[in-house]
Amino acid sequence: MAPWPFVIAAYGLTFIATLATSLWAWRSARQAEARADQLTRRD
Amino acid sequence: MDMTTTRPKTKRKHQRLVLILLAIAAMLGGVLLAMSALKGQAAYFYTPAEAIAAKVEPGRAVRLGGMVEGGSLKRAADGVTISFRLTDGKASVPATFSGITPDLFKENGGAIAEGAFDASGTFRATNILAKHDERYMPREMEGIKYDPNTHKVSAAKP
Amino acid sequence: MHAFANPRRFLAIAVPVTPWCFWSGVLLIVAGCWAGLFIAPADYLQGDSFRILYIHVPAAWLGMGGWSGLTIAAVMQLVWRHPLAAVAGRAIATPGAVFTALCLSTGSIWGRPTWGTWWEWDGRMTSMLLMLFLYIGYIALARSSADRGEAGGVSRVTAIFALIGALNLPVIHYSVEWWNSLHQGSSIGLSGSKIAGSMLWPLGLTVLGFTFWFTAIVLLRMRAILAENRIEARLARMSRG
Repeated sequence: MAPWPFVIAAYGLTFIATLATSLWAWRSARQAEARADQLTRRD
Repeated sequence: MDMTTTRPKTKRKHQRLVLILLAIAAMLGGVLLAMSALKGQAAYFYTPAEAIAAKVEPGRAVRLGGMVEGGSLKRAADGVTISFRLTDGKASVPATFSGITPDLFKENGGAIAEGAFDASGTFRATNILAKHDERYMPREMEGIKYDPNTHKVSAAKP
Repeated sequence: MHAFANPRRFLAIAVPVTPWCFWSGVLLIVAGCWAGLFIAPADYLQGDSFRILYIHVPAAWLGMGGWSGLTIAAVMQLVWRHPLAAVAGRAIATPGAVFTALCLSTGSIWGRPTWGTWWEWDGRMTSMLLMLFLYIGYIALARSSADRGEAGGVSRVTAIFALIGALNLPVIHYSVEWWNSLHQGSSIGLSGSKIAGSMLWPLGLTVLGFTFWFTAIVLLRMRAILAENRIEARLARMSRG
């Protein structure tokens, strides 16, 4: 059985999942921190 | 926090720690006991010696795992039916199969056959999986001898 | 340990450390994957399909390491009532679940060309699948307790659930020794490695890289949860006038 399609599928899946998790974690932290700072600065 | 409560608080912390450690130890012991009791049932396959010792009756669907004995693999004239012997070093069982085998299925390699024994004691496999071990090495080293007990690799005799 | 009880002191370290962890992790992952795909020699038996090892092993290590982290956080929450422990537990759960799922799926993709099957109910695979379900259960419990406004967002029931789930860790590890299994034994143990040196070093890079990356994600999640707690506290105070 040709190995490379399987290797590419496994690496591709890992990169997509890693990228998606990075973006989600980064965006949620940035948005929450921005909102918290904005609320604290108001008074 | 009130400073006067510090001392009894540490004591309570210790109590909680001891309780949790005890609970973890008890649960761990329970799981280990259950697992060792399950040892036979949860096995994914029988080895040939186990299958003979357990007197697996003909016709019952089981998995049989072991090494494909060197020199035993033969292909029938129809091109799809193969016969071979599965061994675990203690016992060896004849088996037949017709169909496509995984690339890793070869003599002196690990294999797991799904199927049942027939009345003559031959294992009629309906599916074959290849099993490999935990060693990884480059192709150039293939001719090199590996000792699984010491993990030492030595040059094969020319 | 209680030096970090104050979130502000924790954040003073976590905020500058996050990008370093993240980018050094990414660098190591890229270098390790490159070496694993193009420099390491093909395996004598499996050929090129063994290259899935370089992502499968870090995924397994972080899936199991994640639950070990949940367990430590749960003990710190239950015993010392450490205020950051619950936050850390919640932050670890999602990336841990992602890696457990990746371990299962890359293993499945690896199993097809080598073993000849996508999935079998053998001890290792079944116990790893159980851990994915445990992660999902933990996330659901943590979310429902956070919705009820419990401090830090993880109830004591959730922490106890993490402790019970930790019992699955030795089962996963020893599954290949206790039972005849399709999955092979451990390649790397206390007695050394059964992977040839020329094939081992890229694995070191990817394991280290994914670990750094995982740390960065956990720090980002902790920052998000701490900020959300701040927002909620502020909104509650504002509504009280």
